[in-house]
Amino acid sequence: MMKRAYIIALVMISQLGFAQNVKFGKISKEELQEKEYVDDKAANAAILYSDRVTYYALSTNGTQLVTEVHKRIKIYNKDGFKYATQQISLFKTRNDKENVSKLKAYTYNLEGDKIVETKLEKDQIFHNEISYNFKGVSFTMPNLHEGSVIEFKYTITSPFIWNIDEFKFQSDIPIKQLVAELRTPKDFDFKATQKGFLSFYSRPGNAYNDMKSVIYELNNIPALKEESYVDNMNNYRAGVMFELVSIIIPGVVHRTYAQTWSDVAKTIGSSEDYKKELDKTNSFDDELDGLLGEGGSQVEKMKRIFKYVKDNITWNGIDGKYFFNGIRKTLKEKKGNVGDINLTLVAMLRYAGIKANPVVISTKDNIIPMFPTVDRLNYVVAYARIDDEVYFLDATDEFSDINILPIKDYNWRGVYIDNPNSRWDLIDLKQPKKAVDQYMLNASLNPDGSIEGNLKTRCSNHSALKFRESYKDKDLETFVADREGALDNIEISEYNASNTDSYEGLVSESFNFYYENGASVIANDVFINPFMFFKLEENPFKSEERKFPIDFGAPFQNRYLINIKIPDGYQLKSQPEPVSMAIPKGIGKFLYKPKVTGNMIQLMVNFEINDAIIGPDNYLFLKEFFNQMIIKESEQIVLTKV
Amino acid sequence: MLKKMLVWMCLVIHFNGISQDVSYSSFTIPPELTKNANAVVRLNSTKVSINGQRDMSIVINRVVTVLNENGNRVIQAGSGYDKYVKIKKIEAIVYDKSGEEIKKFKKKDFIDHSAVDGGTLYSDSRVLFMGYTPVSYPYTVAFSCEVSSPNTAAIPSWKAISNYYVGVEKDVFHVQDIAGLGLTKKEKNLSALGDQIKLTDSNNSLHYEVEHIKALKPEDLSPSFSSIMPKVLFATEKFHYNGVDGVAKNWQEYGDWINQKLLKGRDEVSDETRIEIEALVAGVEGSIEKAKLIYNYVQENLRYISVQVGIGGIQPISAIEVDRLKYGDCKGLTNYTQALLKIAGVKSYYSIVEAGKTIVDFEDDFPTLAQGNHIILCIPDEAKNRNVWVDCTSQIHPFGFIGDFTDDRKVLVIKEGASEIVKTSKYKDNINHQISNAMIELKEDSSINSKLVITSKGIQYDNKFYIENESDKDIKEYYKEHWGYVNNLDISDYSFDNDLENVVFTEKLNVSATNYASKIGDRMLFVINTFNRNKFVPDRYRNRKLPFKIQRGYLDEDSFEIKIPDGYEVEAIPESVSLTNKYGEYSLEFQKSENVIFYKRKLLIKNGSYPKEEYKEYRLFRKSVVNNDNLKLVLKKTI
Repeated sequence: MMKRAYIIALVMISQLGFAQNVKFGKISKEELQEKEYVDDKAANAAILYSDRVTYYALSTNGTQLVTEVHKRIKIYNKDGFKYATQQISLFKTRNDKENVSKLKAYTYNLEGDKIVETKLEKDQIFHNEISYNFKGVSFTMPNLHEGSVIEFKYTITSPFIWNIDEFKFQSDIPIKQLVAELRTPKDFDFKATQKGFLSFYSRPGNAYNDMKSVIYELNNIPALKEESYVDNMNNYRAGVMFELVSIIIPGVVHRTYAQTWSDVAKTIGSSEDYKKELDKTNSFDDELDGLLGEGGSQVEKMKRIFKYVKDNITWNGIDGKYFFNGIRKTLKEKKGNVGDINLTLVAMLRYAGIKANPVVISTKDNIIPMFPTVDRLNYVVAYARIDDEVYFLDATDEFSDINILPIKDYNWRGVYIDNPNSRWDLIDLKQPKKAVDQYMLNASLNPDGSIEGNLKTRCSNHSALKFRESYKDKDLETFVADREGALDNIEISEYNASNTDSYEGLVSESFNFYYENGASVIANDVFINPFMFFKLEENPFKSEERKFPIDFGAPFQNRYLINIKIPDGYQLKSQPEPVSMAIPKGIGKFLYKPKVTGNMIQLMVNFEINDAIIGPDNYLFLKEFFNQMIIKESEQIVLTKV
Repeated sequence: MLKKMLVWMCLVIHFNGISQDVSYSSFTIPPELTKNANAVVRLNSTKVSINGQRDMSIVINRVVTVLNENGNRVIQAGSGYDKYVKIKKIEAIVYDKSGEEIKKFKKKDFIDHSAVDGGTLYSDSRVLFMGYTPVSYPYTVAFSCEVSSPNTAAIPSWKAISNYYVGVEKDVFHVQDIAGLGLTKKEKNLSALGDQIKLTDSNNSLHYEVEHIKALKPEDLSPSFSSIMPKVLFATEKFHYNGVDGVAKNWQEYGDWINQKLLKGRDEVSDETRIEIEALVAGVEGSIEKAKLIYNYVQENLRYISVQVGIGGIQPISAIEVDRLKYGDCKGLTNYTQALLKIAGVKSYYSIVEAGKTIVDFEDDFPTLAQGNHIILCIPDEAKNRNVWVDCTSQIHPFGFIGDFTDDRKVLVIKEGASEIVKTSKYKDNINHQISNAMIELKEDSSINSKLVITSKGIQYDNKFYIENESDKDIKEYYKEHWGYVNNLDISDYSFDNDLENVVFTEKLNVSATNYASKIGDRMLFVINTFNRNKFVPDRYRNRKLPFKIQRGYLDEDSFEIKIPDGYEVEAIPESVSLTNKYGEYSLEFQKSENVIFYKRKLLIKNGSYPKEEYKEYRLFRKSVVNNDNLKLVLKKTI
């Protein structure tokens, strides 16, 4: 899964050539006269200058983490006005809170030949208590016009000194010039993790007073633009995350944090939760013993435990790699975070004598951690090994199964934490098996062009999971109506779906249908598309180019076997050629095989995508593959009246 | 937008002192109430006591059994509050399916959160709500809450059926006007409840009670939920809102109250702006011409920002303040524009509207603060004896064009001593007109090359004029999505003309696509309608329950000239199609001259409301439109 790392071609960013110091309030006429952003004429606004310095400061309240922000933004047109509204989010707890101070902001306009500045007044700065943990300070700039330049600066003082916010280097508008600096005590060693698809480097800043500094200077950063079929855009936003790896205070303390993945695993493994809590089996009740007492193989026991945890503990929607409640409370309250559920699962598997360990991961909605990190990992799943077979389990999701984890879990590799055997390592997750849909259609064509028949479908793995989720989400009548709409407005009767409540095995559905406009009758000829309502109408890939990988979630295969009976008195005039095509490297395959024998049309279609994630270098192949498939799928068989 | 505390008050449900013989077990729900239901309201009791002009208490007891995940939102264990509205008591108890208590929430356990949405810069509205993760279904929540509010102008309404997929075992609503402020009511759609409703109307008190309502399911094209569901609005003649007293028996008096208490004296602007406006309209004749210049001035120089300050979010920021900041919300911008118009000697009226794509009218005879969420400006055009409506929050709409956000609905126009309910402009079916003309050349390699001109007016203008401001990439993507059924579409050239004066948007495009036709031996097959295929077929219902409504009609007229490749001929020209019924018209005509096929299409959809029995017929009409839009033509090689 580290694939992603090389899938993204890194784009070099200019980092040279500005020594100019941008001073607050020194706005040039050129900036005000600027009509568009040279490198991205579609930009509605641009950040002309962004400066951020984060450093440690000693004050009477102890050590504080201070961040000074200075931004200058050019507004090109009305669609860019929204960048004149800013919200600063401040974190707080019961005892401590972040504060913002020294907020100054001006709007600059060119009136005739004169630069006119308008100050943001204090009464136009709004303080919103958003929730228990967040406060927002918001403002919007006065006297704003097309062409205005706005500039603001403020200082955030934070008592949460170990949480350095991500340095974000990319916005949805271009940034002309960016400077970011982190100053830390010499004895604190922070590891910087870069993310995104821009390539940049840092340089050391001036060191003084036992402080050291790292500076990032970037020029002409392109805007980050959304693309479809991307799991999480933030994974591709350029930036740096900082994480403490060691503190060396001579003669006093020496603590070393994670530097390699093995360190990461050890660090997590040596936490109380993984060392002690995982073996607290005294709260396991008779019910569990009963389940295990039924005997059977270890695989059967694993399945029973998995089901027991799924049935008895509900996920509260919160991620986490550590316990929130702990085993006892989780079992008592019957709910918990991801850690509570999957670590309890590990504990129960171990209790049953199965070799089981936690595997810590980062989900798709989190980040892709390309470099060792403890803090950025947000999730844990269970791992079991029985007779050399490896199993991954996540009991938080209603329809997930053993080795069929929720799609968000398949983001990256996993940190394997095997305390009993002192093995701490990075491992690959078992990739999702192909989700196979099989369609069996038997129908007959009527002389008026309508088609009636029966369809039987079977879905496996992630396709079954998806089916179950959408089936559960709606009442049957709505579900069937939606199905009718999705299948070119056929009319469905005798609808039946089975095995939808379980999370194991295949889902199957069966129904009769009436397809009014199944074929076109033109003069003496009947034009029938044998692929009927299955044909793909639109190419999902319309853009000319692609920057980010395409995420299909899991590999999949759709197989169709279609039989259509032709009415008496018609004979074949022409039929489409069979075709077989593939995307290089086995990424995708398409097979289309029509056959007309006697009064029977038979069509076999097979369509498969074998990689869950496809790199942008293969985008054009994929696009053309879909295109050729659409062309083939729209071809007709011509019958003529004898 | 006006702040609507009322919404939250309705959500707030009560529980208080009264002994309840409500069962918390999910086993005792009558089975017919769980059919199609995500949740069943076991009891919803609201008791409103109006103790004085500035003193109202609302007590809510609400017991909801949630049957599945989708039913969680029905619980509504929460209440809004701010510096005027106070939560006296709030509590919730969660029971498992057999009625055993699992968890209890006291006031301090409720989550306190700002009620602002992302788009609002500031608002002091807040909300307390219960944060609970269910561990299994069904489960039951008994919620009780007591709110004290000075805002007698915002008496909660009674809505027995809160949403689709909700069954109701019992709902009781009681309002008592202890202070004798002159309680009145407006009942809507109560007949839908049939015999199930019991009501008593005694001295200064109103009581509604309903039992046993089955869950409803949403259906395509049904009128808006709130317009067909039973509902009772309440008001008192004397009232109070966030620090301001009022008296009103009718809209005229109500309008006077708004005018005097909230608007008056807020129309000063700076001298510079005054001089600028005077210069702008100097020498211009006619109030509408002047208004147009001023509207453009506002669009050029100001922008919309939502800030809910002032008297509980219902008073505009003063014009002088807006002048300084160059931004405002709908109230502030409308009041400011009105102030500028006044300088130019143009009369205009601040008007309150319920905005949104769904048309919602003000009640003709029932003034309350609960109606309306947006402000527009009414400018009388005396020369033509009509009203011109403008939305001062839009930076792009042409003067006098309000689009589908505030069209065709009754609004309150505030005029000193003469406030009244007036209907805004309606965009009738054939005004929402799109004309497409295309020359399409089909080539032997199955590709097409075409030149298109599309003009759009009315609501169809509103639906697309914004694209001219999009980036090149987004414009091309818009068309690729718009004609998604044409595979491999390429827009080689486009230009737009946005005629603000006549409100007409013209698109000129060069479009090509490969593999448009499919080849079968010596034939070519393609769908004749390349650029305006209608794909809309409403869902089929075995047993339709709700009436249906076509809120806005439209007219599409297309004429395509298709040049076929040399060496091919048309095998059979399709017959023309003509469908006319009360819902609209559809026609297709085909003509052939040498190697060109002329395709003429017309689709008129009329607005209107119809009973559920006719739904099937309308659906069939739409289905035959879709089928006919997919008509294929066969070409045959001649050599």
